[in-house]
Amino acid sequence: MLNSFIFIVLPYAALALVIFVTPYRFFSNRLTWSAYSTQFLESKTLFWGINPWHYGIIPVLAAHFLGVVAPGPLKVFLGNQTNLVVIESIGLALGLFAVFGCLVLLLRRVNTPLLKRVTFASDWVLLYLLLTQALTGVYIATFMRWGSQWYLHTAVPYLWSLASFNPQIEYMTDFPLVFKLHVACAFLIVALLPFTKLVHLLYIPVHYLMDPPILYRWRTK
Amino acid sequence: MDVRAQLVMVFNLDKCIGCHTCSISCKNIWTDRKGAEYMWWNNVETKPGVGYPKKWENQEKFKGGWLREGGKLKLRAMGKGPTLFNMFFQPNMPKLDDYYEPFDFDYSNLYKAPPGSDQPVAEAFSQVSGERIEKITGGPNWDDDLSGSQVYAVEDSNLEDNTLVADYGRMFMHYLPRICNHCLNPACAASCPSRAIYKRGEDGVVLVDQEVCKGWRFCTSACPYKKVYFNWQSGKAEKCIFCFPRTETGQCNACAHSCVGRIRHVGVLLYDADRVEEALLKPDDQLVAAHRDVIMDPHDPAVREAARKNGVSDQWLEAAEKSPVYALVKEFAVALPLHPEFRTMPMAYYIPSLSPVISSGGDLHELADHGTFPLLEKMRAPISFLASLLSGGNQEIIADILRKQIALRLFKRADNLGQPVEESILKNAGLDEAGANRLYRLFTIAPYRERNVIPTQQREEQDSNQRKGASGFGILKKTRGTK
Repeated sequence: MLNSFIFIVLPYAALALVIFVTPYRFFSNRLTWSAYSTQFLESKTLFWGINPWHYGIIPVLAAHFLGVVAPGPLKVFLGNQTNLVVIESIGLALGLFAVFGCLVLLLRRVNTPLLKRVTFASDWVLLYLLLTQALTGVYIATFMRWGSQWYLHTAVPYLWSLASFNPQIEYMTDFPLVFKLHVACAFLIVALLPFTKLVHLLYIPVHYLMDPPILYRWRTK
Repeated sequence: MDVRAQLVMVFNLDKCIGCHTCSISCKNIWTDRKGAEYMWWNNVETKPGVGYPKKWENQEKFKGGWLREGGKLKLRAMGKGPTLFNMFFQPNMPKLDDYYEPFDFDYSNLYKAPPGSDQPVAEAFSQVSGERIEKITGGPNWDDDLSGSQVYAVEDSNLEDNTLVADYGRMFMHYLPRICNHCLNPACAASCPSRAIYKRGEDGVVLVDQEVCKGWRFCTSACPYKKVYFNWQSGKAEKCIFCFPRTETGQCNACAHSCVGRIRHVGVLLYDADRVEEALLKPDDQLVAAHRDVIMDPHDPAVREAARKNGVSDQWLEAAEKSPVYALVKEFAVALPLHPEFRTMPMAYYIPSLSPVISSGGDLHELADHGTFPLLEKMRAPISFLASLLSGGNQEIIADILRKQIALRLFKRADNLGQPVEESILKNAGLDEAGANRLYRLFTIAPYRERNVIPTQQREEQDSNQRKGASGFGILKKTRGTK
């Protein structure tokens, strides 16, 4: 029951929300489409939180995606023991970095009176969710070694089975609870993305890199 | 030749009395909102002083504006690559402390306070946190009139010799009202990764598209004048919109309209967009001349033809011909850009203030041979100070303008007293009698429609369905829940 909920209901619900709510929010009220930075009000602690968090979590997240997109070449690459040890160590270090950053961000919200007015329920939910996600990730990396290898043989085929609408949850059901928590949290975060400031993840500065510096808008041209 | 039109404001610093009426009218219309309490799209500073935000002119601190590097213009802060890596934490961003913590007073305490032996007072509270503020330590014009201050005025980066402010015999001050300059080469627009900041082709107004802005905050420091603000409530950048809903209908900007001293002029300039970059690559002391070169003569048929090709209507060309701004900036060349060395080519111009006429006693205030004004070099406000502020350090340009202002006053003084006018005074300053009379009229008795020549915009060309509800800054939708 719990397994079907985490591995079938949650992912499809999350996917549906992202697909339908994101464009709805984009077209109905883009005025809420912001990263909601609080650097203006508090910046000293933010530096020690926001940078470790982003620089820790982005490569780890990218590695998770890479595993899904290109499992074949990765399996070959991680077949080499040295590569595996190096990747695992870097991953763990980045994970710890992210946990540290997330903790700083959480404590900053608690301890800065000036931030009271710009801290909403969604900020707390996200911070706790992301912290749980990062902590369970670090736990898995520490106590369930060589995850970068077994991830490719369990979660990746499961995710592909989700994509083909033929969910094969037997890949996942035998894992310990902490792993299931990690997966459930991931789907929850995806589900919350269109409702929260996480929409800033959907922004890629392509135009910025190509455009001339000054942008003109003509009413008539 | 790529001739475009730009709406431009000229400020006559010689007439500004520092009453802040402009700031209040702007505040009431545009920034009387949650998250915008600390913003003053129009503010008035005392010079010498640190200004608002504190030390905004110090580009070592905020890294605003452009630099010349290898025959090209480059943002002082960072290039496109580093921008992407600094999106989480913007290292140069001005913070709330650099402005001030906005406050209001709890007037309800005046009648709610329990009986006691003291008179109840309206206590100050922060408009950000809502907490009580024990002691207010800053405001938008905190160093107002403190031009002799050892705390504020000495920090003014335009002072060559900052011991000057401590010398009571030689102290000086003038006011500096500032709005967004709606630059021809806006650094804020160039720094925006979301591409939310754009320049309107028709009138050159620089705007932040609130729907596109995602709050990356690079514009707030890239603007060397610190005229882009971060709304802490909506998480987006905001700036002066040159009152476009007013100017589009031919009305004057709220700040200029309400100006008690009538120091402001609004009008059209035509400029050649092809030559902006080349002009900005000139050395600092040649920048004012380069500015003037980029501004085109609206009477020249070739210019008019090129402007028409860009969609500048006959109504706008007529306004450009009558433009008081063109007269002041180019014809009489008495108005100067604020800090041209920031290289954004600001489109707000300032007529430097003439030092006060002072007593002729003492060796400090030696009078010129005509007897009513001090010698140029002995003016209270040092020419080097004005040059640092308005001409990229070129003192000759400032001296030229002060000479014109002095000549004009001597000419009108003689005229009023029925005394013979010495032709040479006007001639030495580069003026003639007709020109002097025109300048006098612009400076003093010109009515509203002469001080401000603002053509309406051709709204009938626009799709009315698209236009509907799109005018003004009005945020009709909810930006975020409020607490």
